[in-house]
Amino acid sequence: MAIHAAGSVVPIPLQAELVPRGTRTVVFERIFEVFLALGTLVGVVVVAYMVYNAYKYRDGADREDDFDPPVLGELPTGGGGGRKLFTSFALSTVIVVSLISWTYLTLLYVEDPPEPEMEVEVEGYQFGWDFTYPNGHESDVLRVPRDEVIQLRVTSSDVFHNFGVAELRVKTDAVPGQTTTTWFEADETGNYTAQCYELCGSGHSYMTATVVVMEPDEYREWYANTTADSS
Amino acid sequence: MTDEDPTDRNAGDSREGADANFDGRKAPNVDSDSRETPNAVNRESLNVDSGRELPDGGSLDGEAADGGTVTGNEIPVQGAVSDALTAATHPSRSTVRHWLTTTNHKDVGILYIVTSLFFLLLGGLLAWLMRIQLWEPRAVGEGLLGAMAYNQAVSAHGLVMVFWFLSPFAFGFANYVVPLQMGADDLAFPRLNALSFWLYLASGLLFVVSFFQGGTFAGGWTMYAPLNLPTFTPDVGANTAILALVLFVVSVTVSSVNFLTTMHRMRAEGLTLRRLPIFSWSILLTVWMMLFAFAALLAALLILSSDRILGTAYFVQETAGGTLLWTHLFWFFGHPEVYIVFFPALGIMAEVFQTFTGRRIVGRKWFIAAMVLVALQSFVVWMHHMFLTGINLEIKTLFMVTTIGISLPFDLMVFALIYTLVKGRVRFTTPFLFAFGGLLLFILGGITGVFLGAIVLDYEFRGTYWVVAHFHYVMVGGVTALIGGLYYWFPKITGRMYDEFLGKAHFAAYFVGFNLLYFPMFVAWETPRRVFQYDAWMAPWHKLATVGAFILGLSFVLMFYNLTKSAFDGERVGNTPWEFSRTAEWAVPSPPPTENFPGVPTYRDGHLAFRSREATDGGSSATSTQPDGGVAADGHAGEHDHGTHASIWPFAVSVGGFLLFLGLSGIREGSLVEGMAGTAYLLAAVAGGLVVFGSLVAWALEPFDSPEGGFGEAWPFDGVENGKVGMWIFLASDVVLFGGFIGAYVFTRVAAGWTGWHPVPEDPIPGLVNTYILLASSFTVVLALVAAQKEHRWGVVASLTATIVLGIGFLGNKGLEWLHLFHTGVEPTATIQTSTFFLTTGLHAAHVIAGLIGALYLLGRSLGGAYLSDHRPVEYFGLYWHFVDIVWLFLFPLFYIL
Amino acid sequence: MTHTKLYTVIFAVLFVSATVQVLVEFAELAYWTAFGIIIVLSVIKAVLVAAYFQHLRFEPRSLTYVVLIGLAAALALTLAASYSIL
Repeated sequence: MAIHAAGSVVPIPLQAELVPRGTRTVVFERIFEVFLALGTLVGVVVVAYMVYNAYKYRDGADREDDFDPPVLGELPTGGGGGRKLFTSFALSTVIVVSLISWTYLTLLYVEDPPEPEMEVEVEGYQFGWDFTYPNGHESDVLRVPRDEVIQLRVTSSDVFHNFGVAELRVKTDAVPGQTTTTWFEADETGNYTAQCYELCGSGHSYMTATVVVMEPDEYREWYANTTADSS
Repeated sequence: MTDEDPTDRNAGDSREGADANFDGRKAPNVDSDSRETPNAVNRESLNVDSGRELPDGGSLDGEAADGGTVTGNEIPVQGAVSDALTAATHPSRSTVRHWLTTTNHKDVGILYIVTSLFFLLLGGLLAWLMRIQLWEPRAVGEGLLGAMAYNQAVSAHGLVMVFWFLSPFAFGFANYVVPLQMGADDLAFPRLNALSFWLYLASGLLFVVSFFQGGTFAGGWTMYAPLNLPTFTPDVGANTAILALVLFVVSVTVSSVNFLTTMHRMRAEGLTLRRLPIFSWSILLTVWMMLFAFAALLAALLILSSDRILGTAYFVQETAGGTLLWTHLFWFFGHPEVYIVFFPALGIMAEVFQTFTGRRIVGRKWFIAAMVLVALQSFVVWMHHMFLTGINLEIKTLFMVTTIGISLPFDLMVFALIYTLVKGRVRFTTPFLFAFGGLLLFILGGITGVFLGAIVLDYEFRGTYWVVAHFHYVMVGGVTALIGGLYYWFPKITGRMYDEFLGKAHFAAYFVGFNLLYFPMFVAWETPRRVFQYDAWMAPWHKLATVGAFILGLSFVLMFYNLTKSAFDGERVGNTPWEFSRTAEWAVPSPPPTENFPGVPTYRDGHLAFRSREATDGGSSATSTQPDGGVAADGHAGEHDHGTHASIWPFAVSVGGFLLFLGLSGIREGSLVEGMAGTAYLLAAVAGGLVVFGSLVAWALEPFDSPEGGFGEAWPFDGVENGKVGMWIFLASDVVLFGGFIGAYVFTRVAAGWTGWHPVPEDPIPGLVNTYILLASSFTVVLALVAAQKEHRWGVVASLTATIVLGIGFLGNKGLEWLHLFHTGVEPTATIQTSTFFLTTGLHAAHVIAGLIGALYLLGRSLGGAYLSDHRPVEYFGLYWHFVDIVWLFLFPLFYIL
Repeated sequence: MTHTKLYTVIFAVLFVSATVQVLVEFAELAYWTAFGIIIVLSVIKAVLVAAYFQHLRFEPRSLTYVVLIGLAAALALTLAASYSIL
């Protein structure tokens, strides 16, 4: 499976070929694609089988003689077909368990990210986001260099928010009185939108922030000119 | 403390039974013994197969069924023809009085169904408002709704649909059908059943009122902290919405105790749990989950109400772990709740599939085992709603495993349903179409749910429309099957057939509308939940969803028209309009008479038969000197005093509850709202409290015959009387309620650092004194019971008096301690330490007060010599009182010493 | 009369063990040792009350199980939630 599709500079151990590595975007897309393909396949097969049987065994004039219908007032018992039931059950168990185990390996990777280049403090409030850089610079815009692992330490100053940038596949809860961490790496420059993903009051729909991904050189130049004051 | 004051008729029996218990002998399995009592002549059953013609299948498929074809289905009564059915003396069903005072399970079922459909309309209307707002991305102030109005619509839609529509709709069927399927005349506590309904209605109306008190709660149906506090959601209506939920939970708890007692104690002879029809099984497991899950929700809601009304500090952002505490408490309830709303739908699918395929369900016992497994496991998956909250990796892994584990039994159930189609004779009637469609939608919901089980994917799906689409496929998939249930049992309930063509048209519109509404949400899944501003490229998908919402909603016009019209002029049906119907509700007339069955139902010979009631009564009087057995049968069929089957008090209690809670909503963090409104709220609360109190006293004094259990299968509570089983089941839910409070204390203390937290009272001695007092009061309650057993009237009076004095002493001592703390500046509202101390011990004190009221009632009656021949009320009061004692045995060290 | 005696003895045991709990607190033991002793004493008292005053000992075991299921649910909530933030 192609691992370097996104051209990430994150060092990737070779032995982990089967388990998607790379940016959060790569990891998510890869797993999502597999789930979508398998999910669609299973869904189509099961639903088709179900509809086919309902149609095939529709009631008609020709009722076979060996038909043994339940009668009113009998004690409930089961019908035949147990073996087929267990085969299907075993099959579905194998599919689900192996899929989840596979993604678990990726989870371990996501939970233990590559050494971050930079750490930014994120604080949610009604209704916006505040970013604090290591040098104390504060801003309502998050600027990060391309192709570098950025760690976010996220919290909230009032209610439960959730910080997420859909396109970068990064998301974590912003819980008052507590800090959660997450990380991401952007492989393309440009403007992205961070949003709140937990209902937080009247301004929830518009609780956004701009995330600017810059060329690393450009970024360093900008960062060198920032001070502890708010921009 | 018990619902139904036992009558003297049964007193001798129970005294002997309880004596046996006190002698240290294991209670004999009297119920199974009773089956061997010699009246086999009367129990001989007719072969239902012989002479029974199969109804004409053709007439059932499509057109309205012909009632005439199924008369052969009737199962005759053994022995003499019973006249029990003709004796109904209720007020006529067409009067308002009948519906206000009815306690019959079928009437209550109808009330539940009709009321829940009203809330379906309300929730649907709110959904339409949201979908209109989502027609296109809206800038600030654009569109039909303002930002807060939109948040209210989102929150109220979720709350109304989950609480006031889904479960009550299913419980309408449960009320109507389960006693029929099990062979019971009614539920164990008919007045409590009526109370459940009226409290449900009162809570729903209270919620409706909240819209007019400055706006209802706007913090989402999950009510996350601290947005759920008055600082952020200050409207009076938000208080009312929370209190409405509290009232709803009370209704659910009452209902759970009632159903569990009934379903375990009152099954027909031969109908062991293994042989219970699957719909009844699904309800049984649902109710077990409800008992514990809703107790946890009650703890969460009481704490929240306290934060809002009294101003305690559980969920404020300053409290370490406070926000997370809410998510734990809520989801501990919230995940079982998913199965609570879905299981009845599953049960209906199983019934409907079997009837309309003419096949018994494949792998029945595995299907049941899978449901049992899910019900148990549902309590250990809740943290999968919290994967991003910063909980540790170990616990995430554990909950990922349990989550995947719980999806597997569903695979088995789905396959079992599908394989039931094979080699069947599938008839595409309206109920079948809805059940079949519901299964199909559930499969899609299930597959998309597996996506969420993969934590890496869940991280990205969190808070998006993927979640919205997934749980609507699951839950509204369940609704689809429930609608199937409505069509399935409509002929049973009304005695008339609905219009099959309109039913199918409803299904077609419904199914198309459903998928138009929810499928586009998968495509546009990157929309954040609960916003009305989204990326422009998704607008076409949201437009499609809005169109679907209107098709889905309008399809119900067909249903309401069809069912309303058919209820009056549909073709009459006999016992059953459905070929291959199996369960007992189809063996009685449609609608069934008040007494349900023409005789005592029994499966003794492997199939349903009815024993004549007269013969049974005769048999029982002959055996009434034996412990339990004969009398139990007597209790079932007994002398029916129909005048006592109606009661206005459940209704009155609920009116009082409504006023009381409405009044409480006017308090915010310890003070009443300003001006005249504040006075009005205060008056409402006082008046409501008085009405509740007065009605409860009247209730206790009202003579009322409730059916006894133990006439047939009663596993695993053979030989334990209904009232005692009910009390223990209630206490088990109370264990979880206190567990929630103590859990909240432990959790916040762990979050704050366990050993850095010191007990609020500096001196443990007042607590120790109260421990002595409470232990002594438990001892006096035991003495009261001993005196009652010895028929020593003044011993009972003296012991109860001592108990009351000790109880008052406990409260007085606590009051002094609290006053002292207040004077030294320790306030409940100050910190999480003081909040947990005052609220948890306060909840306990409230239990003591409730116990004292009960004790005063007992004392009053014991002065007149009550309880000497029947000491059960004293015994059951004792069970409660000792439980309160036990709770204190843990609160004392946790809050005073450690 | 024997029953009354039994109940009286149990009452005395409960009374004494409540006293011991407080004495343990004043005995200046290591915190977690004291914690363990105090909780165990509470459990013993609770079991005594349930077994004799609520006479669960003489009832079908199913009633005990119902309460234990509730207790298990409460413990699952408390322990797993607390563990999740450790």
